[in-house]
Amino acid sequence: MTTGFESADIDHGAASSPDMSEQPPRSGGSGRLGPTGLARIISAGEVVGLYALCIVAALLLSALIVQLTGGDSLAVFSALLDGSIRGPGRIGETLGVMGPLLIVALGAIISNRAGLVNIGQEGQLFIGAAFATYVGTRIGGPGPVVILALLVSSAIGGALWAGIAAALKYRRNVPEVLTTLLLVTVAAQLAGYGLKNQWLLLAPPEGRANRQQISQQLDPDSRIPLVTMFGNQFPISVFFALGGAALVAFLLARTVWGFRLRALGHNERTAQRAGVAASRYGAGALLLGGGFAGLAGGIMLAGGDFGNYTLVPGFPAEIGWTGLLVALVGRQRVFATIIVAFIFAGLRTGSGFVAATGVERRITDVVQGLLVLALLIPPALLFLRQRRRAMAARESRT
Amino acid sequence: MADEAHDEVNHPKSGTGPSGPVPGGLLATGRVAIRLDQVSKRYGAVTACDEVNLTLTAGRIHGVLGENGAGKSTLMKIMIGLVLPDEGTISVDGHRVRFVDPTDAARYGIGMVHQHFSLVEPLRVWENVALGDEGRLDPSATRDRVKEISDRYGLAVDPDAVVGDLPVGMRQRVEIIKCLRRDPSILIFDEPSSVLTPAESEQLFDTLRHVVLEEGRAVALVSHKLDEIMRATDEVTIMRQGAVVRQVRTSDVDAAELAEAMVGRAVSLRSERVALGVVDADFDGSDVPDTHLEPAPVVLEIDGLTVMTRDGRRLLDDLSLHVRKGEIVGIAGVEGNGQRPLADVLSSLIVLSSGEVRVDGASVQTGVAGAMAAAGIGVIPEDRHDSGVVLEMTVAENLALVGIVDIARAGVIDRRAMSSTAERLIDEFEISCAGPDAPLFSLSGGNQQRVVLARELSREPEVLIAAQPTRGLDVGAIEYMTNRLRQAAEAGVGILLISSELEEILDLAHRILVISDGRIIGEMARGEADLGRLGLLMGGQVA
Amino acid sequence: MGAFLAALGDVLTSEAAYINALTFAVFLAFGATGEWVAERSGTLNISIEAMFLAAAFAAAVGYSSSQSEVVALLCGMFAGFSVAFVQAEMSHRLAANQFVVGLTLNILVLGLASFLASELDPVTTKSSSISIPLLSEIPLIGAALFGRSWLFYLIYLLVPFVWWLVYRTRWGLEVRAVGENPQSADVSGLDVNKRRRQSIYVVGLTSGMGGTYLVLAAVGQFADSIVGGRGFIALIAVIFGGWTLRGTLAGCILFGAVLSFRLSLPALGYDVSGDLLASLPFVVTIVAMSVFAKRVRPPQALAQPFIRGLK
Repeated sequence: MTTGFESADIDHGAASSPDMSEQPPRSGGSGRLGPTGLARIISAGEVVGLYALCIVAALLLSALIVQLTGGDSLAVFSALLDGSIRGPGRIGETLGVMGPLLIVALGAIISNRAGLVNIGQEGQLFIGAAFATYVGTRIGGPGPVVILALLVSSAIGGALWAGIAAALKYRRNVPEVLTTLLLVTVAAQLAGYGLKNQWLLLAPPEGRANRQQISQQLDPDSRIPLVTMFGNQFPISVFFALGGAALVAFLLARTVWGFRLRALGHNERTAQRAGVAASRYGAGALLLGGGFAGLAGGIMLAGGDFGNYTLVPGFPAEIGWTGLLVALVGRQRVFATIIVAFIFAGLRTGSGFVAATGVERRITDVVQGLLVLALLIPPALLFLRQRRRAMAARESRT
Repeated sequence: MADEAHDEVNHPKSGTGPSGPVPGGLLATGRVAIRLDQVSKRYGAVTACDEVNLTLTAGRIHGVLGENGAGKSTLMKIMIGLVLPDEGTISVDGHRVRFVDPTDAARYGIGMVHQHFSLVEPLRVWENVALGDEGRLDPSATRDRVKEISDRYGLAVDPDAVVGDLPVGMRQRVEIIKCLRRDPSILIFDEPSSVLTPAESEQLFDTLRHVVLEEGRAVALVSHKLDEIMRATDEVTIMRQGAVVRQVRTSDVDAAELAEAMVGRAVSLRSERVALGVVDADFDGSDVPDTHLEPAPVVLEIDGLTVMTRDGRRLLDDLSLHVRKGEIVGIAGVEGNGQRPLADVLSSLIVLSSGEVRVDGASVQTGVAGAMAAAGIGVIPEDRHDSGVVLEMTVAENLALVGIVDIARAGVIDRRAMSSTAERLIDEFEISCAGPDAPLFSLSGGNQQRVVLARELSREPEVLIAAQPTRGLDVGAIEYMTNRLRQAAEAGVGILLISSELEEILDLAHRILVISDGRIIGEMARGEADLGRLGLLMGGQVA
Repeated sequence: MGAFLAALGDVLTSEAAYINALTFAVFLAFGATGEWVAERSGTLNISIEAMFLAAAFAAAVGYSSSQSEVVALLCGMFAGFSVAFVQAEMSHRLAANQFVVGLTLNILVLGLASFLASELDPVTTKSSSISIPLLSEIPLIGAALFGRSWLFYLIYLLVPFVWWLVYRTRWGLEVRAVGENPQSADVSGLDVNKRRRQSIYVVGLTSGMGGTYLVLAAVGQFADSIVGGRGFIALIAVIFGGWTLRGTLAGCILFGAVLSFRLSLPALGYDVSGDLLASLPFVVTIVAMSVFAKRVRPPQALAQPFIRGLK
């Protein structure tokens, strides 16, 4: 029943629409058509221009909303820049947020590739963080071992949570768009329950300092080490996120697994004929999506930027949703996703400075939402045009 | 008004007009119903229609003949308002018109009976007939109209039946009723007999004659089959590469001339005539070389296959057959009798309810992804977009799709190997494309089919399933495909040819089976093939 | 087991339980009725959550500035329609993926509503009930069905209207055709995407009613968590109901009842963990979908975008 995110995700990059400028010979003869160089340059310029236009429109609309509610949009944008990159050490903060966003996005790219609509990252992340809290506050041992253990268990937790949706999809034919979505709310409630019970996640009374639902804090040894570069401090997990991105990009583009995943996402039946079992590869992709989201949760916990190494209600702070949006805006291209992740991270870290201008910080959610909407338009338009051309050219020959 | 400079159509015979007053909206026999002047349509630099002139006259059946890709389909779309022409004019009953959509064209009295139908299966017959009209929905009035048209033309159907429950022949009736309910003065039939048995085709042509002669309507019959044109039309327009090449009275020409006009050269090879849809009336199989295939080992054995749908319908009903090494077994039958499920089973897409598939004696699991391919079964599916290719992937990727593991080391794809294999296959199979990295959707239908063929043959299968392999291809591509299949058989591949084109089966198959309602109901060697008996079998009558 | 039956017994005999159950059921029904139409046309709109939320906020603001429930309703319906408009245009004219658009709208509207709510701070009072004489005195269910706000009673008009719209008008026939076989519909002269967009406007308007009902009659005041993921349940009621109107309404009643347990059970003296109880509706929904998913037949073209690029 579900179609995945594929319908408008045609790659506009290297293999972009060949110009239908010559009629190929009827039968026989291996003629070679080629798009003219100039046509491609003009086409690329069009694309960039379209994107720029949409981005500007989104920013203007946001500015308008700010002005209409009595704020100063220029001050807001300035605060955003200060908070994200201009202020001292802010780049480090932004990188710290970028890490988990990127990891969630990578998992989303994998699920999307397989044609699945996994929108439950927020919940998978929370469960991952919960698993990490449980393990991280309970096992003893040298620091690195604990860190590794909690990260692994966070990935497992996220994968299991996505696994529920996978099982329902491949056993009972329930569309994953709905199950992953519903499971987000269930995850929050489950974590909330866990945070009320000491045998699960709640910290013992002496570690709580009068707060109701809070977990034990991670030992200093069990935290992801920080590194300082050029005056910016951030957890080393950022490097792993970037390395992970390179690895995922390689796996998707160059391996049999990535190839088959792509085939599955485009055409399930053809893929089945060619040896790709939808249930195996699809479930695998869903589990990986959840696993990455869970891992992001573990990193958020042990990295410290999100609650001082403790688990609280509302822990995910919408990193899950935002990471998913990053993947969607990045059009499934890993490199673009890294950049988009940085930008969206910047919006978050910048929003902290916005309050000082007197405008409610939630405005950055609005900016983000408008940006995403705006960025959905160019690919949709280009896809339509490309399809129209290709279909017409094909149609005219049958 | 009637500028006859371009066409060779003579004035109509007299004496066949209606005897009483003509019902409102219809034209008297002999009047020009619709006229296309210098109509052109281009897609990019591809010219689909090139200054086409066409005149449809009331009281006559006008054939539009051309091979796949000649432009007749685009021309018809222009006539019914689905496509806007770039140049040229359309006049209906003497008045210049310009259609914005099919509803607009319908208002001018133009109706089309589509090849692939325009019906919505879960809705009822009367609801389908009412679709596309304007104004308030009036169920009882629509039902009455359906009954009225059914009775008048002998197209019996229950207005409250759900279309999805009806067999194909009945669905075509609904399609015709849907067309007739608007009282069109111009009717277009698009490849109507492709889904009918020979007997049903005859019945259809009788209906057409009735419609035309007794009611003074104008009918256009679009087809790529010479046979059909010769039998059912009064005059014919032949199109080639988007342009009109000849316009004649059918009685003034023979099949050979039509064929020559259609492809632009003298047609003498038997294979070409087959591709053009000429079935020799005196075909007796005696000119077929006798190949003694009995001793050859059985490569494919299908034993008692049964496939049931969720609601208990049998798509395949205890179907059994076998194919020997180097043998071409043709499965003839009208579409919708189980051909598709059969091909799907052999593509690992469906699980059997019961039965077994054996390749070289070894049983193969059904429904397990890739199992059939791994066992040595290659498939050219009926609908390549559905299960043959991945449109969004490149030519090279599609060529490597089934055997991707073979060009990988430790899970990593060897790009160079993939590319060079692709180049080799592109050359060998003469695939016309921008290169191995061209996305598949940029290739024409014929070339996409070559990609499928190349991929399957290059894997050196034991068995090749070819389902409707030449559908939608032009004559040259059909010839190529047919030759390739024959070559493959000579090299020892067992071929199962599933086709609803009798000509193709008669041309290629050593042994002919007929499928009906999910089972094989008849078998004959090519040497003893009998068109009459085949026709009966295809109609479901075991003779 | 005995305790479970006792609890069930208590719930089934409590008038308050019925009132609560129907409160949520009708909230869901406003959205589900519209989404049923939209899904019959082949679209799947997860932005229904955003439609509810936008409507609730707009209704609160509308009431706050005019003190009129009617004005509030109009504002709510307009807001729901606006969200629907964006969903419809982007997904069925520009061919952007409908799940992506829906998701983005949910996030955007949440952000916008939170942001504007803190700036504008709308104040509302709970809508009063109008009891229908005689009918509202039926034991157990009388008050639940006939002793409600006028906004509640709108559902009694909406449901038959929508049924008539889909099954008795040409528009409805076309919507159904478009959802089953858009290619055939297109060839028959119908504008597939236009009908789809229009059916999405319907769910926008009905969710507008639902959002207004939620903020003015059901809850009484606006908070950005007022919908809290429950809008999706309306969408699932359609699937649970096998894409029939009857089934959809049954689903709304079932899920509405489960949603109301969080209020009703504690009031009856049962102490069940708040979190687990809060997750119950969602778990029940997932389970219900799993049980019924294989037996129901969706419109054939559900969630498949239609593009014909030939003109």
